[in-house]
Amino acid sequence: MDEALKIIDLEKSYGNLHALKGISFDVKPNEVFALIGPNGAGKTTTLRIIATILKPSSGSARIYGFDANKEAEKVRKIISYLPEEAGAYKNLKGIDYLNFMASLFAPDKKSHDEYIEIAREVSGLGVRLSDKVSTYSKGMTRKLLLARAIMTKPKLAILDEPTSGLDVINALEIRRTIKEFASRGMAVLVSSHNMLEIEFLSDRVAIIDNGKIHAVGTPSELKKTYNAANLEEVFVEVVK
Amino acid sequence: MRKFNTLIKKELKELLTLQMLIPMIVGVMFFVFIGNVMGNESKKINAPQTILVLDNDNSVSSRSVIGELTENNFKTTTFTDSKINIVTNLAKEKNISTVISIPKGFEANLAKLKPQKIETYSIINNFSLMSTKNSAVISEILKSVNDFVSNSIISKELPGVKPENIKNPIVKSDHVIIGNNTANVSADQISGFILSQSIFIPIVMFIIIMFSAQMIAVSVASEKENKTLETLLSTPVNRTSLVSAKMIAAGLVSLLMAAVYMFGFKYYIGGITGVSGSQPTLASSAINQLGLALDTKGYILLGLSLFFSILVALALATILGAFAEDVKKVQGLILPITFLIMIPYILTMFLDINSTSTLIKIIVYLIPFSHPFLASPNLLLHNYSAVIYGIIYQAVVFGILVIIAGRIFSTDRILTMKLSFKKKSLFSR
Repeated sequence: MDEALKIIDLEKSYGNLHALKGISFDVKPNEVFALIGPNGAGKTTTLRIIATILKPSSGSARIYGFDANKEAEKVRKIISYLPEEAGAYKNLKGIDYLNFMASLFAPDKKSHDEYIEIAREVSGLGVRLSDKVSTYSKGMTRKLLLARAIMTKPKLAILDEPTSGLDVINALEIRRTIKEFASRGMAVLVSSHNMLEIEFLSDRVAIIDNGKIHAVGTPSELKKTYNAANLEEVFVEVVK
Repeated sequence: MRKFNTLIKKELKELLTLQMLIPMIVGVMFFVFIGNVMGNESKKINAPQTILVLDNDNSVSSRSVIGELTENNFKTTTFTDSKINIVTNLAKEKNISTVISIPKGFEANLAKLKPQKIETYSIINNFSLMSTKNSAVISEILKSVNDFVSNSIISKELPGVKPENIKNPIVKSDHVIIGNNTANVSADQISGFILSQSIFIPIVMFIIIMFSAQMIAVSVASEKENKTLETLLSTPVNRTSLVSAKMIAAGLVSLLMAAVYMFGFKYYIGGITGVSGSQPTLASSAINQLGLALDTKGYILLGLSLFFSILVALALATILGAFAEDVKKVQGLILPITFLIMIPYILTMFLDINSTSTLIKIIVYLIPFSHPFLASPNLLLHNYSAVIYGIIYQAVVFGILVIIAGRIFSTDRILTMKLSFKKKSLFSR
């Protein structure tokens, strides 16, 4: 199997609003693939369909061969989804939250303990894991959530704005973690507004606007095609 | 099953917070406090009342009247050479609420069969329920005095005849029949006793149904707002398990609240009934004769009716909570549940639903929350079938609502549906 993710003619409508108008792309194992576009372009809708929480109006999203719509149960076992600006349960301690999420994925205690060990390492929260999530800063919460998202060693991690609202240092740590896990074999589909982040993280980029994909390629290919100095200029050129 | 237990544990941890427990404990302590205060006041009122007597006649008859008062559980302090304003001032100082004055010539005039006027003075410091007990005290005093005087006159004029037979040649004996049981008691006493015993049931039900509905609606809405729901929906967990774990956890917390509130109400009602219960012993024995006390079967059916009401409220609140985009909107969304509970609560408090028009009856019976309110009197009257049909109806409504809630959580409606209260612009096309 060549693709971790294969999107074919994906469409989604909310009443009269056509959020996705037939998009297609694919992501390979080990690859970090970025979906960039302005607000309301259709990024989050695409990620939610792949994460099996929205149903497409037509077309298909296949994750390692499983259809996100028809074989959602199988897909959910091999993916992990981090929604944009997601929170954790504020009345739980950090470690309780990780234990809760780990027990939803782990087939046995050994795997459960392994997931928690990964999460401890990735989050870097140390003793603060024993504190309630309500006492965490935004950066700490995001690290906890990212740790939760990748501790289960998903085959495909779907990360919506993983560093949104974070300071430079926290954002950098999170990007490094994503990159490291991708190098270990995890496919990553990431959406972001931050072009610098995308250029740092992504192997390939798709620019989406108004429910359609306008360009796909590596950052250097796109810059070359649009004769741009950086991805920001490419983005402006594509969506204007 | 392991995942389901994990979900329930998580829900319980989220629900049983200090913010939730403290108001509940404070509420119960409030009921216990009020109950104790009322109980203490009730004891004071039922204790022998002190009255001041100004005996201007100081005769055998007037002293006999005072002796009769003492026999009737009044503590008396008598003044024979004083004025009424001095005695009433003394009563005010000593916080004594009743003064009576026996006129001069009391004995001589009674001998001539001239009616005598005993003056009574009630000292009222406030208008609370407790202070009105004064008028009852005075009535009892006068009744005792009248009985004593008339008995003396009858015994003197008609020796060998029992004064009771002259005064009350016809005696009323009240009987109440419920089903096949009969008891020698008045209907007033029975209804008063039943009301005092069952008044807390609708109040507790109202509080619990409202709390449980709010709890789960807030839980669903806050999961949507914090996007923890999106995360959960993408995990390998059955969607029906997500919904049912929420409902079961909220149901368990509601039952805990029910137990705690029942405990508080027990104290509260204990205090209240101590104040209002006239001849409670007589009514209690009659209650047993009439079989009006709830038996085990009655308690089970009442519990089931309440339990299904909570389940219906939880299922309905889950659906309504799914419409909320954030926690702030929950209050408005669960308003329909509030109305659905208020209607039977108020109607059953003031009306006998069975004697209302067919339309009102249908409306009340269609509201699933009406049935526990109706169950309590029905069970006391051994009308079990009405209660059982009510429970079956509630179970059916719950089943339908669970299917709807399950469908909402199984599709993307859980993330996409919301109520729009925006007005359409006049200029929109």
